Amino acid sequence: MNALLTADALTRSFEVGQGMFRRRRTLHAVNGVSLDIRKGEVLAIVGESGCGKSTLARMLLGLLPPSAGAITLEGRNIRDLGHKTVARRVQPVFQDPYSSLNPRRTIASIVALPLEVHGVGTAEERRRKVLDILDRVGLPQRFADRYPRELSGGQRQRVAIARALVMNPEIVICDEPTSALDVSVQSQILNLLMDLQKELGLTYVFISHNLAVVEHIATRVAVMYLGRVVELADTDSLFRNPRHPYTQALLASVLTPEPGLGLPDTHLGVAFPDPLNPPPGCSFHPRCPRRFEPCDKVTPALLRDAGGENAVACHLYPPSPANASLPKTKN
Amino acid sequence: MTDTILDVRGLSVDIATAGGVLHAVRDISLKVERGKTLCVVGESGCGKSMTSLAIMDLLPKGARRSAAALSFAGEDLSRAPGKRFNALRGNRMAMIFQEPMTALNPAYTIGDQLAEPYRLHRGASAAQARDRAVYLLDKVGIASPAERLGQYPHQLSGGLRQRVMIAMALMCEPELLIADEPTTALDVTIQAQILRLLADLQKEFGVAIMLITHDLGVVARIADRVAVMYAGQVVEEGPAAALFSDPRHPYTRGLLDCIPVPGRTARGGRLGAIPGVVPSLVGEVHGCSFRDRCPHARPVCAEDPPAREVDGHRWRCILEKAA
Ligand SMILES: Nc1ncnc2c1ncn2[C@@H]1O[C@H](COP(=O)(O)OP(=O)(O)OP(=O)(O)O)[C@@H](O)[C@H]1O
Ligand SMILES: Nc1ncnc2c1ncn2[C@@H]1O[C@H](COP(=O)(O)OP(=O)(O)OP(=O)(O)O)[C@@H](O)[C@H]1O
Ligand code: SF4
Ligand code: SF4
Ligand SMILES: [Mg+2]
Ligand SMILES: [Mg+2]
Repeated sequence: MNALLTADALTRSFEVGQGMFRRRRTLHAVNGVSLDIRKGEVLAIVGESGCGKSTLARMLLGLLPPSAGAITLEGRNIRDLGHKTVARRVQPVFQDPYSSLNPRRTIASIVALPLEVHGVGTAEERRRKVLDILDRVGLPQRFADRYPRELSGGQRQRVAIARALVMNPEIVICDEPTSALDVSVQSQILNLLMDLQKELGLTYVFISHNLAVVEHIATRVAVMYLGRVVELADTDSLFRNPRHPYTQALLASVLTPEPGLGLPDTHLGVAFPDPLNPPPGCSFHPRCPRRFEPCDKVTPALLRDAGGENAVACHLYPPSPANASLPKTKN
Repeated sequence: MTDTILDVRGLSVDIATAGGVLHAVRDISLKVERGKTLCVVGESGCGKSMTSLAIMDLLPKGARRSAAALSFAGEDLSRAPGKRFNALRGNRMAMIFQEPMTALNPAYTIGDQLAEPYRLHRGASAAQARDRAVYLLDKVGIASPAERLGQYPHQLSGGLRQRVMIAMALMCEPELLIADEPTTALDVTIQAQILRLLADLQKEFGVAIMLITHDLGVVARIADRVAVMYAGQVVEEGPAAALFSDPRHPYTRGLLDCIPVPGRTARGGRLGAIPGVVPSLVGEVHGCSFRDRCPHARPVCAEDPPAREVDGHRWRCILEKAA
């Protein structure tokens, strides 16, 4: 299948620690992530808060340079393509509808901005296009000349989606697009995103912590833990047969709307993941209920199944003989 | 014996806008008992945040509160001066805000911001405040808490910021905690952990929690009572079990149909939706505000629907029960 956008061994680190006597330390937010984003798919990225999803998203958008590795858009490094070219084809919808909209601009001018930047149409054509897209995302036209502060969270997220779509991008990277919304708005936005995808042939990268939503909308899922992809699978396999112990814990933690069941016990240790002190070996081992001998020493690689597309990074699933990239050692 | 910590009666919030007065919250009444959790759910823009900001006396400029009663631990605050709220807020009552970045000051470190209310209200020393901050950051699941104290808000991920805010709200062991979407940016394993932390605090200190969320899964698992808001009003309120098993208001029923439930909803299929948009609340508002979107609406719904009640489960609709 053809990859539209490819991440190749992407790594991004930050230097943290302030003050004269505290030593500066390196935080590996994203650590060697390789992913193909294929035309027409909905690739979901799920994982613990702070595991690097937004950092990965910002790199894919060309908004943050990687410390190592490369991103290619149909074979060309996005560093060489320039920001404007990338922005025409890859657009974001961010996690936080509050800080991502300029408070001093009206809704219409926020949505029109990408058109202005790229010099599309006359002022009147732009206005028409803006009203059209606002209508498409379900915002009454009376909102066009209001300011973001006058809108509720759900209304602001619709503005963000309108702004992302106004340039007709191919790939939309949605970072928690519905997490600030209540459910009737969430279902409308998800229905909207699915409709727009079919109508416009869009490709989505969909970051979310809501696994019920991910199961509903995604075609493939990448599970991240502490900056790495630990499992990658088509949606059906992942939900029917989660293999990585962290994926299993994630699925066990889903709160279904059944009163009286109380809060589930995830059977995870309380050693919360810390990108400043990543544990040696498998970074999940301090919390993993199934850890065994090699786990705290050897980092498991993300291995593709024999003849399949799915992959998992866990010692419970050793490389198989048919795996071309990692031949089994003879004994 | 019930022990009401918060008793709000006839609360309204009016906001002056260019187009006229917006009636963001319209004559609502809510009660929160010590040691119990009230969850507030409802359409985006229905006035949940305005309700909590009104209770905390933190309404934005241009917004005006009026209430028949706003009693906190038996003290009526409906006409209390701002000074009284300053003494209670961040101390005996605390709030976790929906917008971490507007609540956190970008110019100060996490450590300074955590310490401030504790030093102000409890007269704690810098070292005591620091110890408590480290303890709470650890409790909310932030690793290397001592290092995080020196960081600024923009250096944290969305989920970490939210957990810092939760820790900040807990610094002075409040009796009432109002949490506006406290776990939205968190992944599910951490969410389960944070909700258990809140439940533990509740058991240990009897803290009352008013939790605003759009996650009906969270509501189902932690709420004692649930209030459903629509267009500035509480349209249904009652014990959690009754609300899920026997929703009375058509809007509540619609909400429950909107969530994808693995195994029940077809993957990639359309989710239940409540077509239409919320009516404008600018100017005079009459009748049932859900009538433009309600599948059961009749001409009589243009008049204010009756308030009904069965076993402490109340709703406002012409119908006894939506079919
Ligand atoms: N500018 C920065 N400086 C220092 N550290 C950073 C910076 N941006 C992100 N980080 C750190 O990188 C890690 C990954 O952050 P990121 O925002 O990508 O997480 P996330 O998976 O999106 O989390 P969430 O689900 O909470 O949004 C976190 O530990 C975060 O504190
Ligand atoms: N500063 C303001 N000026 C004018 N109108 C405002 C202002 N803040 C909020 N509103 C309006 O007041 C109403 C209630 O807003 P509120 O923030 O309480 O909604 P909410 O229920 O918290 O929504 P959400 O779930 O999206 O957070 C909305 O219609 C909103 O557009
Ligand atoms: S490699 Fe070991 S510690 Fe890591 S997830 Fe697998 S079993 Fe658990
Ligand atoms: S009062 Fe009428 S319009 Fe309102 S919810 Fe009931 S049936 Fe629907
Ligand atoms: Mg993020
Ligand atoms: Mg709100």
